[in-house]
Amino acid sequence: MKVHYYPGCTLKEKTTALDVSTREAMKCLDIELVEPEGWTCCGAEYPLTEEKIVGLAAPLRVLRQVREENGDFVITTCSFCYAVLKRANKAIKDDPLKHKRVNAYLRDDIKINALTKEKTTGFEDYNGEVRVLHLLEYLRDHVGYQKIRSRLKRPFGGLPVAAYYGCRLLRPAKDMDLGEPDDPRLFEEFLEAVGATPVDYPFKQECCGSYLSVSLPDAATEASYRVLRSARSNGAAAITVTCPLCFYNMDRRQDKIKEAFLDFPGLPVLFFTQILAWALGVEKTVLGLNQHAVPADDLFRDAPAPEVTL
Amino acid sequence: MKGQKKTKRIGVFVCHCGVNIAGVVDVEKVAKTLTDYPGVAFSTNYIYVCSDPGQQMIIDTIKEKKLDGIIVAACSPTLHEKTFQEAARLAGLNPYQIEIANIREQDSWVHVDKDKATKKAVKIIKAHVEKAVRNESLEPIKVEVHRRALVIGGGISGIQAALDIADHGYEVLLVEKNPSIGGKMIQLSETFPTLDCSQCIMTPKMVEASRHPRIKLLTYHEVESVSGFVGNFKVRIKKKPRYVDAVLCNLCAECEKVCPQIVPDEFNMGLSFRKAIYMPFPQAVPGTYTLDAEHCLGLNPVRCGKCKDVCEKKAISYEMQETIFEEEVGAIVVATGYDLYSMQALGEYGGEKIPDVINGLEFERILSASGPTAGIIRRPSDGKVPKSVVFVQCSGSRDTEKHNPYCSKICCMYTAKHAMLYKHRVPDGQAIVFYIDVRTGGKAFDEFYQRTIEEDKVLYIRGKVSKIFKDGDKVVVWGVDTLTGKKVEVEADMVVLAMAMVKAEGVGDLLRKLKIQTDIHGWLAEAHPKLRPVESLNAGFYLAGCAHGPKDIPEAVAQASAAAAKVGDLFAQKELSHEPTVVPVDEDKCSGCAICITMCPYQARTLDTERGVVVVNEILCEGCGACAAACPSGAAQQRNQTDDQIFSMVTAMMKG
Repeated sequence: MKVHYYPGCTLKEKTTALDVSTREAMKCLDIELVEPEGWTCCGAEYPLTEEKIVGLAAPLRVLRQVREENGDFVITTCSFCYAVLKRANKAIKDDPLKHKRVNAYLRDDIKINALTKEKTTGFEDYNGEVRVLHLLEYLRDHVGYQKIRSRLKRPFGGLPVAAYYGCRLLRPAKDMDLGEPDDPRLFEEFLEAVGATPVDYPFKQECCGSYLSVSLPDAATEASYRVLRSARSNGAAAITVTCPLCFYNMDRRQDKIKEAFLDFPGLPVLFFTQILAWALGVEKTVLGLNQHAVPADDLFRDAPAPEVTL
Repeated sequence: MKGQKKTKRIGVFVCHCGVNIAGVVDVEKVAKTLTDYPGVAFSTNYIYVCSDPGQQMIIDTIKEKKLDGIIVAACSPTLHEKTFQEAARLAGLNPYQIEIANIREQDSWVHVDKDKATKKAVKIIKAHVEKAVRNESLEPIKVEVHRRALVIGGGISGIQAALDIADHGYEVLLVEKNPSIGGKMIQLSETFPTLDCSQCIMTPKMVEASRHPRIKLLTYHEVESVSGFVGNFKVRIKKKPRYVDAVLCNLCAECEKVCPQIVPDEFNMGLSFRKAIYMPFPQAVPGTYTLDAEHCLGLNPVRCGKCKDVCEKKAISYEMQETIFEEEVGAIVVATGYDLYSMQALGEYGGEKIPDVINGLEFERILSASGPTAGIIRRPSDGKVPKSVVFVQCSGSRDTEKHNPYCSKICCMYTAKHAMLYKHRVPDGQAIVFYIDVRTGGKAFDEFYQRTIEEDKVLYIRGKVSKIFKDGDKVVVWGVDTLTGKKVEVEADMVVLAMAMVKAEGVGDLLRKLKIQTDIHGWLAEAHPKLRPVESLNAGFYLAGCAHGPKDIPEAVAQASAAAAKVGDLFAQKELSHEPTVVPVDEDKCSGCAICITMCPYQARTLDTERGVVVVNEILCEGCGACAAACPSGAAQQRNQTDDQIFSMVTAMMKG
């Protein structure tokens, strides 16, 4: 089965581990991921931060391309891409004026016929037809946990793992519509499906510091530290993320966190797709574990599950 | 009727209403123009027609000019129609020969162009002249009144209303769905701002209600349905089986000792446990045990039967059945109370999953000497005495986005009381209150709040709480101090949420049976927000207590007494009058299609299947006119608002 997949730029450059593990995992589930022709950056946070119409053009072009390729939905893994695509889509569905103005920009895009390479203009209006699904949502609603369970080669043996939603996946709840933002279950259910034990901790939907790691690094250090400490003190052997930026703040900058907070002994940070891929039988060498600043190799052992020391 | 047409002598009185009308409408010109209009025998203008001299002028003119009908061109009829009807009556004119032409709300207040507004005033008055010449003289419809009241709800409001009505000399049925009367107030510890014990002031009222010769106490009963109309309601009441004979039961408590079923105690807000056979609280009225069938092993001696075996008085019977009986009453006081907004709705505050985050009513039980901890402040999770407690005001109130937009009114005061009582019991503890504003509008309220801060050293932080979560042994509260602009993080032992007040659970079903109106939040709607605050728009229904909206005890008691006084007004009348401007049926024209029956919101119309025509209960008809508009044959004509009148008004308007 082919489904549209929007990796987003970070996954192509800095965080290929997330992209690679996604592809490998989906192969195991007989799903082929197809990228929309000529996709661009979604604009990261920018399209959502200002009331500028032009910012919506980038994410909506991506979605329109999916429609042109007869796709009903597109899946994505990066929390930022997910939020931007989904909220841009909703913005033009909810606001007729935005719809009109964005389409005024998009209408004159040049259309290239895939076969003849003939160039034409005049797209039909994009009306938000394409649904934007996070991979976690896709696995739950389309693939089904039952199927995942039946394909498991290496169930995690109850490894205690903290699900980290971060700030982007659930809020604003009216737009994201992924369940109750104060008591989410989506990520936890996924972890249960691959044989891990989700750890409950109060910081699962708090921000990691996001882009503050550029402008105000100390603030990001503290924010990430609080999340990691909370996960660890509640018994997690690792924390799983969906977002490349969360990964950067919590994994790549974990040495800074340890420097600033001497009580923190460290915690491996994983992408949820690495867990999925490995559980489905993908070899450890292709999971991109060499990109991790905090060694996570030990977690991927055939058996038995590692002891957790606190 | 037709013969009277155009032969009537109509008088027109154009009011200036100071500058309200005269500032925009040329009232003299209007009055002068109307002089020549067919049917008008007299026309004048006056500065305040509603004043005493203005009314006297009307009375004198009616007599002097031998007028058959008058038009008062002034403000909306909702304000002074009654005034002028009374003036007409004094002058010997039938009050239904009065027409009010609204040239204020519908003209001078909404226009600025004097010339156009003046022309519009003339048109409005001409239309009413056309109506007035076709008006009939009507007499109010009279009906008997049943001098017996039903009070629904046995909390402080219901009890107070019942006592007052009974003291007026009328019989009262007091229906309470729970095993005992007492409501929420009997659960409270001490009451602000005087800190008198709630039980100590409530129990005498409860006993008085149960002993009053004219109050029939119906606890563990529910209202099934209500039919009829003001003065003549028929109420079907369901008696739920208690399985214990209240007369035989001597409260020996042997049954409770042997009962194997343990369930959370509602009276203690689930903070302690009771048996399936139980007495809700020691001062319960009536003082008897009740067997809760839902939690009993099955009301079956084969399965358990321990309570029955041990009962020496033979008071327990598993055979009792639910019964329904009918009563007749003339007035109904609705005092169904409130509930607290569910903590589950506040996911950011733990959504009821953190044991040491409790609501205000739970804290009342913890504070209460008769509560689960015997008045010692202990937190639910481990029974430790909390050394720091955070109180969060406006939990679910004043939140237009996610929760309830209104202010629950009593939380500022009870939170101050909670914090103060906590400090009295745990002097070395820390009490922190998060608030948006502190609203202390009440007698001796602000002094109480000041005392909480100054004498009891409670820390008040202005700001909302964003998140509450459990971290180990502690409950962590994240908030903001909006006076310093700083984030605040408190590691507390316990958190008390001042949850919003909401309509009582399940009351919606009851109100649908009563067919009375509520506002968008489900609170009972009063007939007028200022001038008729204790009456429902539906005649014969009166409101008392928190069913009408959040209020404190003194307010609830005052409203209950006011409702009782209104019931007294009703019962003091020999017979009731009903507006005669109803919609009868012209049986010659009625085809029995019954379309009007479906339109009628008051169930006033029924089909006489034998004769094939619709018949009208004129007492139930409120004269809304929905049936008249729907009737395809013109058989439904509203008195003094006939099709003929409406068409002639429209014609007069269009002519200019």
